[in-house]
Amino acid sequence: MGHHIITEIENEKFEFTKRSRTIVGAIFVIGLILSIIGVVQLKGDNGAESHDTDATEQHDAEEHALNSETPASFASLQHGEEGTHEAPEHDAHAAEEHAADADHGDAGHGGGSWLTRLWSNILMNSYYFMLFAIAALFFIAVNYAANAGWATLVKRVAEAITSYLPVAFLTIVVVIALGHGELYHWIHYFKEGYAAGDPGYDKIMESKAWFLNNGWFFAGVPIIMIIWILFRTKLRNLSLKEDENGGTDYFRKSIRFSAGFIVFFAFSFSILSWLVMMSLDAHWFSTIYSVYNFAIAFVTGLTVICLFTLYLKSKGYMSAVSDEVVHDLGKFMFAFSIFWAYIFIAQYLLIWYANLPEEVIYYQMRTSDTFRPLFRTNIIMSFFLPFLILMMRNAKRNPKVLMLAGVIILVGHWIDLYLMVMPATVGDSASIGLLEIGMTMTFAGFFIYWVLNNLSKKALYPMNHPYLLESVNHDVGV
Amino acid sequence: MLDKKLILGVYDDGDKLLNAVIKLRKKGVEIMDCFTPFPVHNLDRAMGIKRTNLTVGAFLCGMTGFLSGLLLQFYMMTSHLNTFKSWPMIIGGKPMDYSMVPSMVPVTFELSILFTAFGIGILFFIRAKMIHGKIAQILDPRQTDDRMLLAIEPDGLGSVSRSEVDSIMNAEGAIEIRERNMDGSSDH
Repeated sequence: MGHHIITEIENEKFEFTKRSRTIVGAIFVIGLILSIIGVVQLKGDNGAESHDTDATEQHDAEEHALNSETPASFASLQHGEEGTHEAPEHDAHAAEEHAADADHGDAGHGGGSWLTRLWSNILMNSYYFMLFAIAALFFIAVNYAANAGWATLVKRVAEAITSYLPVAFLTIVVVIALGHGELYHWIHYFKEGYAAGDPGYDKIMESKAWFLNNGWFFAGVPIIMIIWILFRTKLRNLSLKEDENGGTDYFRKSIRFSAGFIVFFAFSFSILSWLVMMSLDAHWFSTIYSVYNFAIAFVTGLTVICLFTLYLKSKGYMSAVSDEVVHDLGKFMFAFSIFWAYIFIAQYLLIWYANLPEEVIYYQMRTSDTFRPLFRTNIIMSFFLPFLILMMRNAKRNPKVLMLAGVIILVGHWIDLYLMVMPATVGDSASIGLLEIGMTMTFAGFFIYWVLNNLSKKALYPMNHPYLLESVNHDVGV
Repeated sequence: MLDKKLILGVYDDGDKLLNAVIKLRKKGVEIMDCFTPFPVHNLDRAMGIKRTNLTVGAFLCGMTGFLSGLLLQFYMMTSHLNTFKSWPMIIGGKPMDYSMVPSMVPVTFELSILFTAFGIGILFFIRAKMIHGKIAQILDPRQTDDRMLLAIEPDGLGSVSRSEVDSIMNAEGAIEIRERNMDGSSDH
């Protein structure tokens, strides 16, 4: 019976055993091998195709125009009113661009090339795992700011997940610095420097130039992430010092830093999601896009915290974490799955209703024959399955069911991000192959290794946290 | 009924009440109910209260709302049920078939919420016998102010003697122990 009030607990220390290290390392290595095989395969296919079509310039240009479905459809929408001249003009443009790209030794931003697909995968996974880290930091900050004590026991798990933030910073900066040519077609557009009246001049792009420019992109994204890392370091140091010295000073300071972080996070995360993800479809925009990204971040972040906690519990650690705390984490997963669905339908429904060409193209691309199955799977896995599975109280208190729901949520939102990136970059030639699976395994292996390694360095409970015992005795009633 | 009297323990502190409940339950005494002006943590578990089935009711109410929302819209706005009579509802120029299902999401969602909220509220009032117009049976007026009440039915004592119960309740700091008629007809 749960009415015995616990007044002290023993601290625990997680040991990252050699066996676990080997298993997690194996995921990483296998993922890396699969990715390389995938790349080689794609490169082979790609090379064969271009060899066949190399015969005439004309042919190649057509091929390129076909491959670059995405910019083409944008352009046709854009220049729709210009009428019949559009198509040949675009072909010519594509050919010209292709020639220019060849000069630079660059495959261009057209879909279908193996390099584009590789960078798309790296971007997608960098962003996906970055979301876990930043959501975990947000979770810590929210608990401080709301003066909430129930999650104190799992705070170290969340902190360990935030330790991935510097790695996420590196991977995203690498994508931005090296892969931007393959991913962001607006960068190519602005490189050309069209004047008003030029054939390629694009009114929509020009109107976005004050924000969608190299300054915001190449400086803004790293600066935002560095500030996140600084906040993370500060909160972590306060937490560790609290362990050493005790007292409530560190707690009060943490509240102040958390409140500051939440305000900064609201603005900066929006900007980052626009720059990194929404600008993949540079013509398109959605005002709720950053909230949508936040919904993904928070639900996946909570799921990851929950899964790590369950893993530790299954290994015999974290015995002080009662079913009540796990139950509340499950409730959070359940609630934010619904929140995600709410934001998803809020974005989808308005665009679907209004049916404006420049808006509806986003979902047109995502419900094409290539992506329609995934589009439906996404909704089912991110909302319907977690909703139905986690609805029952017993499900949230059963580690196995909770783990199953967690994995479903994570896969669902992986597809979610896949649908945000791939239709915009790779286009209709996209598929989930060795590269996609391998790259995700690589990132997942690295992420798990990094987090568990960080977790093994410090004690599992913040012993001097004023709300520790509240969390230990946390009770949600019968 | 005359010899059946509720035993009431009056407390001024939630922890004392909780400890008394724990001790009494350990002896095998069944607690009828506790009355507290604010929630006392762990008290429900200590009293051995069973989990409510209200959630099942909530789910059924929600399903009713969900289905009636869908039915309502299919009935009124499409030709699927052969009920569509007069005036086509143009939604974004979409055809009147299953492709307009997204437009049904808000209404279905709202009706699910509405039915659940009202349904669970009404079910709760019925289950707790709080029907409008019924005169409240207050065991002790102080339970509505700042005192906590521990009520034991005489049948719930089991093998424990009355004096033992009194001594346990007193040991945990009861302000007063008194008896009260079950039906509330005359105060002791």
